[in-house]
Amino acid sequence: MAEYMMSQDRLNDPRVLLAILDNLPTSIFVKDAEARFVYSNNLHCEMIDKAEKDLLGKSDADFYAPEVAEGFLNHDRRVLEQGEVDISEEMAALQSGMTMPVLTRKARMVGPDGKTYLIGTNTDLTEIKRREEQYKALSDTVPIGIAQVDENKCVSFCNPLYKVYSGGDGTEELQNALLDKLGKGHGGFPGEACKFETEFSILGQPLRSVIVISSGWLTAANGSRYAIISVVDVSEMMELRRINAEVSRLNKELAQNMKRLKDAQDELVNKGRMEQLGQLTATIAHELRNPLGSVRTSAFLMERKVKDKGLGVEVQLDRINKGVVRCDNIITQLLDFSRTKQLQCAPGDLDMWLSGVVEEEARKLPANLQIEVELGLDGEFVPFDPSRLQRAIVNMMSNAAEAMMGAGEQLHTHDGEAPKLVVSTFQKDGHVSVRIADNGPGIAPEVMTRIREPLFTTKSFGTGLGVSAIEQIAAQHGGRLDIESVIGKGSRFTVWLPIRTVNLAEDEKAA
Amino acid sequence: MSRKLNILVVDDDAANAESLAELFSMDDHRVIVAYDGQQAVEAFSLNKVDIGFFDVMMPNKNGVDSFIEIKGTHPDARVYFMTGFSADDLLERAVKGGALGVFSKPVDLQRLLDTVEKEAA
Repeated sequence: MAEYMMSQDRLNDPRVLLAILDNLPTSIFVKDAEARFVYSNNLHCEMIDKAEKDLLGKSDADFYAPEVAEGFLNHDRRVLEQGEVDISEEMAALQSGMTMPVLTRKARMVGPDGKTYLIGTNTDLTEIKRREEQYKALSDTVPIGIAQVDENKCVSFCNPLYKVYSGGDGTEELQNALLDKLGKGHGGFPGEACKFETEFSILGQPLRSVIVISSGWLTAANGSRYAIISVVDVSEMMELRRINAEVSRLNKELAQNMKRLKDAQDELVNKGRMEQLGQLTATIAHELRNPLGSVRTSAFLMERKVKDKGLGVEVQLDRINKGVVRCDNIITQLLDFSRTKQLQCAPGDLDMWLSGVVEEEARKLPANLQIEVELGLDGEFVPFDPSRLQRAIVNMMSNAAEAMMGAGEQLHTHDGEAPKLVVSTFQKDGHVSVRIADNGPGIAPEVMTRIREPLFTTKSFGTGLGVSAIEQIAAQHGGRLDIESVIGKGSRFTVWLPIRTVNLAEDEKAA
Repeated sequence: MSRKLNILVVDDDAANAESLAELFSMDDHRVIVAYDGQQAVEAFSLNKVDIGFFDVMMPNKNGVDSFIEIKGTHPDARVYFMTGFSADDLLERAVKGGALGVFSKPVDLQRLLDTVEKEAA
């Protein structure tokens, strides 16, 4: 408090006050009622490059060209005569020839002597102007629309791009209208800090996709609130995104089409191959069965001729006959596999037909193989091709029997149970099924993965076409083949056939 | 006692034709052998044939065409077919044309002999 009192004392000394005025960063001058300088602080003297003593008693007319001086004097007179405060930005021409942007404030005051004076100040705006120019250059060149919004949600300032976005000539009305459009559907906008994507269209402009960012309310030095909003045009990005999505969709479609094309090509090639194979097989069948016929007939003749002669060739003749049968079976399997022609389907009592087939086939299987038949179709009529389906049943039965075949002709099962085949039929989900289950050794997983491949076999004999023929026959009927197996328990082959098949060829034939 | 038959064996595979001929001969039937469809037609016109066993696929007229032709002149002709592998429509024509049956090759000889025996009875 004592210090404060001391300063107060010092301020009463005019030399101190003058020293303070000389050290202010503002140029100060005082003119009398005739606009003649009566005081100039140091900075003012520096600005106009005159010593105070050269100024006192002089007016602007003494330093400037008459027309320039007249302009200054008009201002001075208005202040002195009408008492208005004159604030203007101007370029002060320095004595050095340089110019300096200044904010000049002139006001009238009445001195302690009762006389009227003009007190003027010049504030150097160089730094402020420099910054202002920087900000203006920034706001003019950024690819972002920027607006300052006041508390009434009116645009109080905006950059040129925001004006462009506003459309037309970018009037205040249009600027405010754009603000409304941007904020549509975003309640807190612009008062709450936020960032969102939106679209707007202005007459005569393409639809713009934009990202809008609001600073939320900020408080200005004078206590008023304002928000800064930025509008970033992302139409191009959106367009690129859309094009990108379209390209990837097209790519996907292309890949699908290529796959379809390849599938069709594969099918065509496969069909071509199957047709070739069919022709080849037919030729082989025809060409081999003729010599097989003469082998069989010749063996038969020999058997007759050596009968009762004690030559002991019965075993050899039997081998010849068995060889003929085996060759013939191979040919049959090849024919089955390569057959591509249309099925000859006719509705029939599947159960009744099946029991006949099983009975006939059972005679060819080892006698100690127990065969159980469980028919569950209740006389349901199902369309099927008897000769083809018989081939599938025979293949399944002989595969099962062979799976249980140990050394020689002895059947074996894993847990010593009697070897058994269960042939069953049942109906499920619009399909009938024929299932052949055995209690043999089961199918090893590595065999299971390949069992459907044509030419795959685990037997030391056979073509490896048996299972693929079953599958093919099921597929030709519009059905499928299921194979299940548990090691040590046995295997189940199930052929599913649709109860109703539309066979155009059949329909045409019937018509 | 069964009677002795005139049997026509038609097959372009000579070994087949001749071994079957020998088989039938052993049972004292008279056997005529033809090696293609055309010869079969001629054999029917030159001989009284009780029963024929025809191969299907042969040069110079296939077995079915030959059979249909023979049926024209000999409506009572009794013919079985033997085939290794033939187009189904061809066999269908044969059966529709009055063929008695189809043996698939290699022919089950017991069935064949049974058939002959029935004819001879």
